Amino acid sequence: MALSLVISGLDAGYGAVKALRGVSLNVRGGETVALLGTNGNGKSTLMKCIAGLVRPQQGSISLDIDGTTHDLARLSAEDIVDLGVAMVPEGRRLFPRLTVLENLMLGAFRKAARRNIDENLKLAFATFPVLKERQSQLAGTMSGGQQQMLAIARALMSSPRLLLVDEPSVGLSPLLVSQTITKIGELNQKLGLTVLMAEQNFNQAIRIASRGYIIVHGEIVVAAKSVDELKGNDIVKRLYLGGAA
Amino acid sequence: MDLLLDAVVIGVLLGCFYGAVSIGLSVSFGLLDVPHVAHPAFLVLASYGVYIINEHYGIDPLVAGLLITPLFFVLGLVAYRLYYETFEKRGTDAGVRGIAFFFGVAFIIEVLIIMQFGVDQRSVTATYIGKSWRIADMRIPYRMLVAFAVAAALTIVLTLYLSRTFMGRAIRAVAQDQEALRLMGVNPIKVKQWAFGIATAVLGIAGALLIIVAPVEPTLDRAYIGRTFCVVVMAGLGSMSGTIVAAIILGVAESIVLTSFGASWAPAISFAMLLGVLAVRPQGLFGRRS
Repeated sequence: MALSLVISGLDAGYGAVKALRGVSLNVRGGETVALLGTNGNGKSTLMKCIAGLVRPQQGSISLDIDGTTHDLARLSAEDIVDLGVAMVPEGRRLFPRLTVLENLMLGAFRKAARRNIDENLKLAFATFPVLKERQSQLAGTMSGGQQQMLAIARALMSSPRLLLVDEPSVGLSPLLVSQTITKIGELNQKLGLTVLMAEQNFNQAIRIASRGYIIVHGEIVVAAKSVDELKGNDIVKRLYLGGAA
Repeated sequence: MDLLLDAVVIGVLLGCFYGAVSIGLSVSFGLLDVPHVAHPAFLVLASYGVYIINEHYGIDPLVAGLLITPLFFVLGLVAYRLYYETFEKRGTDAGVRGIAFFFGVAFIIEVLIIMQFGVDQRSVTATYIGKSWRIADMRIPYRMLVAFAVAAALTIVLTLYLSRTFMGRAIRAVAQDQEALRLMGVNPIKVKQWAFGIATAVLGIAGALLIIVAPVEPTLDRAYIGRTFCVVVMAGLGSMSGTIVAAIILGVAESIVLTSFGASWAPAISFAMLLGVLAVRPQGLFGRRS
């Protein structure tokens, strides 16, 4: 499946505050790419720009699917979902007073997604068996780890090709973080999903990523071609590995 | 004792009627957070619509109510769009200004009705109006049984719609997290507009019940502001079955007070219960905690 995401020269912000400055980044089909950075550096803003929730002020976001190029910066969030881009938002953002099954069904709201609803539901339950057992439970009453699984499963319901995962580790215990990251890795390996994951937990993210970017104050400061290159980078050592560079 | 039983039975039926006229507000205010104080004015407007059809064509008021639902659906779409563009979109103090907006709409509707029909009471004719069913020592008016049946049907249909359809689930979700809904490729404004249309369409049938149960006059909406908001707040915002239960509690309370203290006390009941609920259990009997 030919797919690629190319972001170039992206500026975005809220009013006078610039959250992103000249961000360029690319993701090729089948990859898992990590977007690393601590809180407040613009990771979520970038993810929201790709999903169509925040309009960039400048720059382009090109999604190439089977030879056709779409500029996501000009499309609505609805159209972007139809193109096969799904996002697992930071903090999960489930509908707490709806059941697990109802949350999943909402993931398949778009007409194109409704056609594959039975297959996708089967896939979601096969990937996360606990959701099948708890399908009539209210989402808000589940544990944090289960909620994260539901948020990922809900994104799968729209038959995505590109999965955006924003801070999957937030609010989870170390064991659950590890399990969640492993699951995301499996989605890439088994289903061939292309994944762009924003994360601040460096060591967990590089377990499944093939390469990564580091964003500081809204600018990409490191674009590493491999995990080893990331580990060897001075900025990474200073930010994450505690070493004096 | 007989008197009490009588009051309770009539109260339950009256409560079902209150449920039917409140259930639309349970969607517009309960789920969408729109301070729709013009809800009872739309209700009275629907009654006059039913009156015209019944008067001119002799069509059964319930059928007439069904006939005007598409019209009221469109009216709801337009009203929400107007409210959204002028108030909700600007955020922050939309709530307070929204109340002023809908009060204005309510007064305009009252005045339009007065200009067209005058201040006299209007009523409809149907075979079940004016007759009673005698059981044991009680006399139960057929029109109250009609109200009971329609309320039950409305609750079931709306509950199924909200839980079994894609749009229905989106309507319940829009109250919980609008941005997350956008991530599912759903436009929350369109969902709210559609839901407001449904809430207003239901008033077509509720308006028919209003004029079946008793004659209507242009300012009747004022008596229903307290009742409908009391029911929706007591139910806990956004619960359909809760709405009927809360409405029955109000109906029984009004009916008992009416038989023991006299009719002049009845209108105070809804406001007293509204205040009581807000003081003791603000999330309502079946409600969400925010």
